[in-house]
Amino acid sequence: MTVDGISTYPGLGFGPMGPVEPLPGEPPGTQLRQNQDTTTELPTTEKTKKERTFVIAAFEFHRVETPFLIGLWIFFASLAKIGFHMAPKLSRMLPESCLLVFVGVLIGALLLSTHSVHVQPLTPDTFFLYMLPPIILDAGYFMPNRLFFDHLGTILLFAVVGTVFNTLTIGASLWACGQTGMFGCTTPLLDMLLFGALISAVDPVAVLAVFEEIHVDEVLYIVVFGESLLNDAVTVVLYHMFEAYTEMGPSRLVYTDILAGLASFLVVAVGGTCIGVVWGFATGLVTRFTNEVRVIEPIFIFVMAYLAYLNAEMFHMSGILAITFCGITMKNYVEANISHKSHTTIKYTMKMLSSSSETIIFMFLGVATVNNTHVWNTWFVLLTIVFCSIFRIIGVYIFSAVANKFRLHKLNRVEKFVMSYGGLRGAVAFALVLLIDPTVVNLQPMFVTTTIAVIYFTVFIQGITIKPLVKILNVKTAEKRKPTMNERIHERCMDHLMAGIEDILGKHGNHHMRDKFKRFDNRFIRPFLLRNYQGAEPKILETYSKLAMRDAIEYMQRNASTIGNISGAESMSAIFKNYTNTNFNGSPSFSQIDTSTWNIDMQELEYNPSKKDLTDAKIHHLLAEELCKPFRRHRRLSYSRHAVNERDLGIQVNYKTHMNIRRRVGDRKHHHKRSKRGKQDGKNHVTFPEFQQNGSAKQFTHGKIKYYRLDYIDEVLQEDGEEREVRRDGDDGGITFTAKSPPGYKEVSPTSSHKENSSSLLNQLANLPGFNPLKARIIKQYVKTPEEILPTAVEKSLPWRRDRSTYNFVPNEDILEEDERRLSDDNDNYNMIVAEQARVATPTATETMLPWKREEAEGSGALKQSEFPSWASNKEYLAYNSPSSTFLGLFRRESSSSTQGAAEAVVLSDSEGHRESTSKGEASSKDGGVRQGPSLLSKRSTSLGGPSVLLMEDVAHSDPLGASSRPASIMQGPQRGQCRRGSMMELTGSMSRDAITEEKCCKSLPESERMGVRRLPLGQSLGREPFIRQLTLASSLTTSSSSEDSSDENT
Amino acid sequence: MGNKSSLLLREEEIAQIQEETGFTPNQIERLYSRFTSLDKNDCGTLSREDFLRIPELAINPLSERIVQSFFAESHDDRVNFLQFMRVLAHFRPIKKNRENKLNCREEKLRFAFSMYDLDSDGKISRDELLAILHMMVGANISEEQLTSIAERTIIEADTNNDQMISFEEFCRALERTDVEQKMSIRFLN
Repeated sequence: MTVDGISTYPGLGFGPMGPVEPLPGEPPGTQLRQNQDTTTELPTTEKTKKERTFVIAAFEFHRVETPFLIGLWIFFASLAKIGFHMAPKLSRMLPESCLLVFVGVLIGALLLSTHSVHVQPLTPDTFFLYMLPPIILDAGYFMPNRLFFDHLGTILLFAVVGTVFNTLTIGASLWACGQTGMFGCTTPLLDMLLFGALISAVDPVAVLAVFEEIHVDEVLYIVVFGESLLNDAVTVVLYHMFEAYTEMGPSRLVYTDILAGLASFLVVAVGGTCIGVVWGFATGLVTRFTNEVRVIEPIFIFVMAYLAYLNAEMFHMSGILAITFCGITMKNYVEANISHKSHTTIKYTMKMLSSSSETIIFMFLGVATVNNTHVWNTWFVLLTIVFCSIFRIIGVYIFSAVANKFRLHKLNRVEKFVMSYGGLRGAVAFALVLLIDPTVVNLQPMFVTTTIAVIYFTVFIQGITIKPLVKILNVKTAEKRKPTMNERIHERCMDHLMAGIEDILGKHGNHHMRDKFKRFDNRFIRPFLLRNYQGAEPKILETYSKLAMRDAIEYMQRNASTIGNISGAESMSAIFKNYTNTNFNGSPSFSQIDTSTWNIDMQELEYNPSKKDLTDAKIHHLLAEELCKPFRRHRRLSYSRHAVNERDLGIQVNYKTHMNIRRRVGDRKHHHKRSKRGKQDGKNHVTFPEFQQNGSAKQFTHGKIKYYRLDYIDEVLQEDGEEREVRRDGDDGGITFTAKSPPGYKEVSPTSSHKENSSSLLNQLANLPGFNPLKARIIKQYVKTPEEILPTAVEKSLPWRRDRSTYNFVPNEDILEEDERRLSDDNDNYNMIVAEQARVATPTATETMLPWKREEAEGSGALKQSEFPSWASNKEYLAYNSPSSTFLGLFRRESSSSTQGAAEAVVLSDSEGHRESTSKGEASSKDGGVRQGPSLLSKRSTSLGGPSVLLMEDVAHSDPLGASSRPASIMQGPQRGQCRRGSMMELTGSMSRDAITEEKCCKSLPESERMGVRRLPLGQSLGREPFIRQLTLASSLTTSSSSEDSSDENT
Repeated sequence: MGNKSSLLLREEEIAQIQEETGFTPNQIERLYSRFTSLDKNDCGTLSREDFLRIPELAINPLSERIVQSFFAESHDDRVNFLQFMRVLAHFRPIKKNRENKLNCREEKLRFAFSMYDLDSDGKISRDELLAILHMMVGANISEEQLTSIAERTIIEADTNNDQMISFEEFCRALERTDVEQKMSIRFLN
């Protein structure tokens, strides 16, 4: 654009701010020289003064004038922008560009009236060298590449042929009208064509400003915007061509000049593009090596793009094309190389620069309007506006008809209208018209005025009306969203598919070309430009990591609030409410990482409260709250200290760690070692808590480095596994297993001496690695007669559970063998039942966690692909779909049956108590009862698979509380028997199981935890705390299961 | 439909194909010439080798699946022209007023779905998705990454929690995708 700038610009060599406008009659540029003279001279006078006296304070404006004015302009322009957004009504009606122009006019009028500084701020140099590049770079860098190239044909058609068409028709029409003498001046054809060239180009700045606000469909947007970007080359060429012709004079014009014009177009366009692409690759290459100096990463993007622009201008190529393609090219490579922070920096800096340039451009446009040199020719202005509109519409209709012949997506009538209506003229035209040398083209002042008028017409009339029109015409509007994993993958797959089909058809279409480029890119370019070459589908990875990141952040946000609530001093019910709100309302994402939520979910699944139960629960809940206040507070504190914070980390970890664990365990380890380890009683599972914990911490901090973590986890896993095994052996020998579960823990396991045949089930369950006696409480309620158990709500509602049911329990029995041997033999008859039950149920925690176990199970064959712990995947399912409300509904429906099962639960708990007594005999019978409940529950939950894991964690959390809640449990003591009969809430006394149920249904994790605490018997008191802490830390089923396991073994 | 002896299609064959697939006679002629040029053995049918002889297709990561999709209906590992056209009919752009059962959105989606459904049981399992990802992404990404991506994808789409993506779930996941556009090819006239 600035091709001939040096010689032709009126504002030659002016500073960026633009100097004082040349006075009429004065040759352009003299003002500047004057200005410079004054600025250089003044200091000298100052100097002479200084020699005489020492000046304490001096005022020296001239020295800083130019930058100061620039700063002032930017400041006021930005201020104006802020102002608009403070008047939402105004900004809703008018596009920002209009308001800015308006403010510019006001300022211009002010300056004109005061005569203080006669400023012509918008000089072509200023515009082309400083204001335009940021906007175009922003456009190019954030250009949706694929969309752009998919529609490149159409865009080029409009940008090249359409612009030429407009130029010729507008110019010719104006000339024809001029022949009638209606303009009152001579209108040479070449002058008119020159004017047509500059006025016919759609302006990217104006288009961006307007289209950003109306959010039209992306195809429409890219066609109009792409046209405005790419027609630059055409405009530049046509402009210079006609300018040169004008200077030469029509008489000397020979046809070779016209051919030269065509050739020059190719050179300008292709050259600009090539320069841009080369600089783009260079930028990619440079950023490959910036990993040690991250802070300067962004500067390369800006500087090199700017250099590309200047470089193109240097060779009289299209700078706009250069910087556009530089942005398009560099984007993919740069994004893969730079750090996340640099990415953010670039994004914001670019947006900031472009939007402030845009602001200033429109404002200066307004300011430039106000001057004394206008030559207003009504007919000329009117006809220009009319011709611009008419030929734009005609051009669009003609060329879209042509384009539709080759397009898959046909441009329909509405789109055509928006395209023609969106053909806004703007600052580019204005800057170009200022470039015209008035000594060559006598009509230049009239052109300037007319151009301003056209710009005002398009920016104001079209800019204001396009928004309502888009609404009225019901134009498809764009929806901004990040692609989901499915969309990303399936769309890629479709691309390949379509490319394949095109190949079969022998057709070289878009897909074919894209595929070809991708192959080339992946093979030759990427390996050179990228630091970490990640393979063929970076986008899929990118989407994945973005989504994973988002999950993590979402989780953190959700959890942060819960943490705050819990640590605060408000009542439990408030926390409960908060929990419900946060977890429940945010259901789509709610359970993915949140173990506690999972717990709740699980409980929800497990509990099937009836109406009556719910009311009961409410009452109990209230009572309990009053009864245990002091303890509760204490509990809460400790809870927040240990559990919340750690859990926070842990949970987040859990989500990802689960995946990793699964992968690790499934792929690496157990693929190889499964057969060997198969019979080792699933000791490996013990390691899970450890590595989850570790993994979580790591994960939390290094959200992005998840794979690095894997190794670490793996190590831990291995170490831990070995450790465990050793300990296990010792365990069998009667050694107390204290490493993971402190000695105090044993006290927990109580002794109630009910010996019933049902005990075997309990034993088995208790012996499950994942079994936590405390949790078992909860289970109790759900342990029913086998027949009843079979179709639990969970199973019914969750098909996958049913699927797995076949291979369920067998492996566990394997594990439990020794325990059973130790224990009474009356188990046998019950064993069958257990197995039966288990079979129906989903894989137990052990199974899910320990793939190798499952392998031995009957259903293992089918499981092959889900050899990873199913609970992990289940969890995620819930996390994403988490139709918690649905679950809730289902469970409610089933509630009656569950309550019926309570009686059975009592029996089972008794049996468990018996077992425990045999093994330990330490705790009181009361305690035993209490413990049995949890153990059963946990067993049940284990057997149910996925969510149950979380449930266990929940219990684990409750443990710490439980330690402090002794008094409460004492109080509840008397009611225990009743509770037992009716439900699992033996010790809670005032609080019945039902209460818990209700709360769980409502997803109040804290509530449930608290309940758990209350439920804890005296016997479990303080000795457990370390253990508890551990549990909390690990904050996962696996943790609890391991400790549980060990304790059981000890017994 | 492959006319074994002659390279020309008979009128009634064209009519039948047009009826069934919605292609215009011109398009049918054009595609038939492509078909015969792929058919190196002049036997009127295409084998897998004929397809894979196309150089670009051979390096398409999903070539195997794409070719397989042509053989879905055939029993003898040969594709005749009618079957060939039936498959291609899925990719005809959708015309508003002329509904065709082969190129409606659902059919397009079903075709895409079949790309994943290796065992054609109507569901995309994790392993199937993983296999496709393997083909597309290549060897540079670790197994763990791919696995987690596959799992994430399934979790995302799986609404009934069976750890598989059924066709309904697949459609729902692509609800907002312009499948009509993405899976259409402008057939030359």
